Amino acid sequence: MLIPRRVKHRKQHRPDRHGAAKGGTRVVFGEFGIQALEHSYVTNRQIESARIAMTRHIRRGGKVWINIYPDRPLTKKPAETRMGSGKGSPEWWIANVKPGRVMFELSGVAEPVAREAMRRAMHKLPMKCRFVKREVGEA
Amino acid sequence: MSEVTITSEPRDSFGKGAARAIRRANRVPAVLYGHGTEPRHISLPGHELLLALRTPNVLIKLEGAVTELALPKGVQRDPIRGFLEHVDLILVRRGEKVTVEIPVTVVGDVVNGAMLDQQMVQVQVETEATHIPTGVEVDVEGKDAGFVLLAADLPLPAGTTLVGDPEALILHVISSPTADLPAEAGAEAPAPASVESAESAE
Repeated sequence: MLIPRRVKHRKQHRPDRHGAAKGGTRVVFGEFGIQALEHSYVTNRQIESARIAMTRHIRRGGKVWINIYPDRPLTKKPAETRMGSGKGSPEWWIANVKPGRVMFELSGVAEPVAREAMRRAMHKLPMKCRFVKREVGEA
Repeated sequence: MSEVTITSEPRDSFGKGAARAIRRANRVPAVLYGHGTEPRHISLPGHELLLALRTPNVLIKLEGAVTELALPKGVQRDPIRGFLEHVDLILVRRGEKVTVEIPVTVVGDVVNGAMLDQQMVQVQVETEATHIPTGVEVDVEGKDAGFVLLAADLPLPAGTTLVGDPEALILHVISSPTADLPAEAGAEAPAPASVESAESAE
């Protein structure tokens, strides 16, 4: 699973969930991609689960790129704890994904196979997504 | 090489409010510059421009507020809905040599059990502004693992020269990785057992 090796600060504020993706909105490495249509925090478990769903479907052949990285820790206070006494302990690693972001890319397989593989992967992700293809020759 | 005629209107109010008003009128704010001239702010009809930009490196013949030949240099789109937000146009003259990126299109299928890995989908070339090729086609029919195509080997159209590294890898054919290989690539870092242990290594 993707996880940072070392971090500067153990506990961070929750990332901003507003606005659209500023970059990474097009398919650049592969031929097909999964694009987010909503904001969401994507955990490293969800990324791994989506990747496994994709690679199991394409079986032999194909190459997968993961364009997001879960570099933000989220904390959680234990259940039935009174408020106060400081911030909770880090619980999850998440990627802050904004609408328009291409999260996964795939190449080396036929389009129907890619569509089905990515449809399976989308079921593992916490937001609405769509299948996108590389656009050729745009300035 | 396609040439599209588009009528432009001058734009004299700026900022996001004015730009949004232009977009509401189904027009696209644009800026035209090049050859050391002052930038000229114009607006273009949204639908016509959208259709024109479907062709890579389309030559736009501007009429109306400005009468010039231009190439699209930068296109800003809404990432979700895909409509045009703004276009940068660069002035060109007939007969002038320009440096543009043309798409590399692959035709044919590699042999069974091999996989095509295309490293570059566009290649930078120098060509005449009025004769920009729509792309360069590469045939990989029946190619087996080990086939390598470098930039210098691309079948470029006449009058077009390559700009950049001739040794750059365009595509190669590799043997298909198994389903497990990407898993290993995805787990490059040794995964610590928990968030706490990741931070204790700090």
